[in-house]
Amino acid sequence: ETDSSSKTLKYRCSGCIAVGQSLNSRNFSNLLHSCPYQCDRHKVIVEVEDRYKSELRKSLICNKKILLTPRRRRQLSIES
Amino acid sequence: MFQGQRGWFCRSVSQDLRQFWVAEGGTISDAQAANFLFSCDASHPDTMRIYQSLDYIEDNATVFHACYLSAVASAEIKSSVPLGHFMLPPACLQKEIRRKIGSFIWEQDQHFLTEKHDEV
Ligand SMILES: [Zn+2]
Repeated sequence: ETDSSSKTLKYRCSGCIAVGQSLNSRNFSNLLHSCPYQCDRHKVIVEVEDRYKSELRKSLICNKKILLTPRRRRQLSIES
Repeated sequence: MFQGQRGWFCRSVSQDLRQFWVAEGGTISDAQAANFLFSCDASHPDTMRIYQSLDYIEDNATVFHACYLSAVASAEIKSSVPLGHFMLPPACLQKEIRRKIGSFIWEQDQHFLTEKHDEV
């Protein structure tokens, strides 16, 4: 039973069943995120990637803050 | 099959696969304009640039392994190959993902792909 139910779930994962031209690099991530029946594979990939992306986002904001600090900006203009 | 689609190719992708893309009606473009991003190596500098882009951070840039194209080429019904099986995550995440789900589908296909390649 577990096997058949996991199969059903597998078939319902948007990342696994979606085919055709409408799907591409620009909308795939949103499609996966909005899928309530992600298969184990896609679920893991999405979780790991999401964590990584939020780290990237944080470091991006951090870098921006450093660049925008007046003292740092002065330093940069002296360096260049 | 790829009529009207714009593809970006990492330099890690072989000429054969690019030619297949074009033969199927696709055009080759820069990363910004492309709606398909293909790579064979997540640690290649070209592909790393995608992972460092704002598009990637904002969920607007999924890189797919270019062996999707070989799978399409060898499929009986070209449009039946699920693109989603060929997600190529950043190299620094692959070890963790592998530990949780085993090898990627594009790794499993590798043997079959090389066999196919030998025949040509
Ligand atoms: Zn799936």
